[in-house]
Amino acid sequence: MRALVIDDSRAMRRIVSGTLEKLGFEVEQAGDGREGLDALERGYIPDLVTVDWNMPVMDGLQFVSAVRSNPGYRSMTIMMVTSESEHTQIVRALAAGAHEYVIKPFTADALRDKLALLGLLPQEVSL
Amino acid sequence: MTTTEMGRRSSDRRPVITELIDEPTIQSIAEDAWTALVGEDEILVPLPGELPGDVVSSWVDVVGPWTGTVVLTTGRETAAGLTRALLGEHAPAELEDEDIVDAFGEIANVVGGNVKAALPGPSALSLPDVGDAPAVRNPADLCRVDVLWRGEPLSISVQGALPALPVH
Repeated sequence: MRALVIDDSRAMRRIVSGTLEKLGFEVEQAGDGREGLDALERGYIPDLVTVDWNMPVMDGLQFVSAVRSNPGYRSMTIMMVTSESEHTQIVRALAAGAHEYVIKPFTADALRDKLALLGLLPQEVSL
Repeated sequence: MTTTEMGRRSSDRRPVITELIDEPTIQSIAEDAWTALVGEDEILVPLPGELPGDVVSSWVDVVGPWTGTVVLTTGRETAAGLTRALLGEHAPAELEDEDIVDAFGEIANVVGGNVKAALPGPSALSLPDVGDAPAVRNPADLCRVDVLWRGEPLSISVQGALPALPVH
């Protein structure tokens, strides 16, 4: 499976990418929503996108809206991974088309469990 | 008192941070961030320590019913240690300033985001910044927690962005 990790923090990109790689994903990274869209337009169509909310240039919500407006990207599962933890923000993200929402800070196990719920990996996979 | 005066006094009333959040809540938010980001065995000891002369701060702004800044301050060496701990096996052999700015800023982002969630909303959160801490504008609008991480001092301040209102 392939994943695209979008976060303006290099540290967070490394952490999320490292966890996904341990779970068997092939991972590409992007530093904001615009770079994420660029990766998609270059033909890198992942099974999973993890995307931060607060980023320069194009934020996570704008990215989700842009992806959902393109029927060619319908197969991708989008997970918001963000420190925005207010209920209203979660509702906005899900309404825009995100499938799942993970609040920072999170553990690797929590991320794995969310992916298992989404059917993106067998539940017995351990980290 | 005229209606205008009454209206002004009513609208001038704004909460200070100590009415909205307390030190144990900030401590708990920081502990959760440390456990998840820095390491499961990493603890924050709620004891004050003397910050060294060479410090660095990271912060995010919260703009909403309460407007202010969540600031983390520690020694530069400790910030570098935090960066290494956060990156773990992904840490480069030689840390660059950019790595520290990025990682220490992300910790402020996570702590600040969860502080924001504990405050009345809706509020907006800024992107993190790193450098010299913003000045405390109103000492009464400040909630500060001092902790030790691996024996090194670190402070977490939630401080209002607005100066104190004049006393009528």
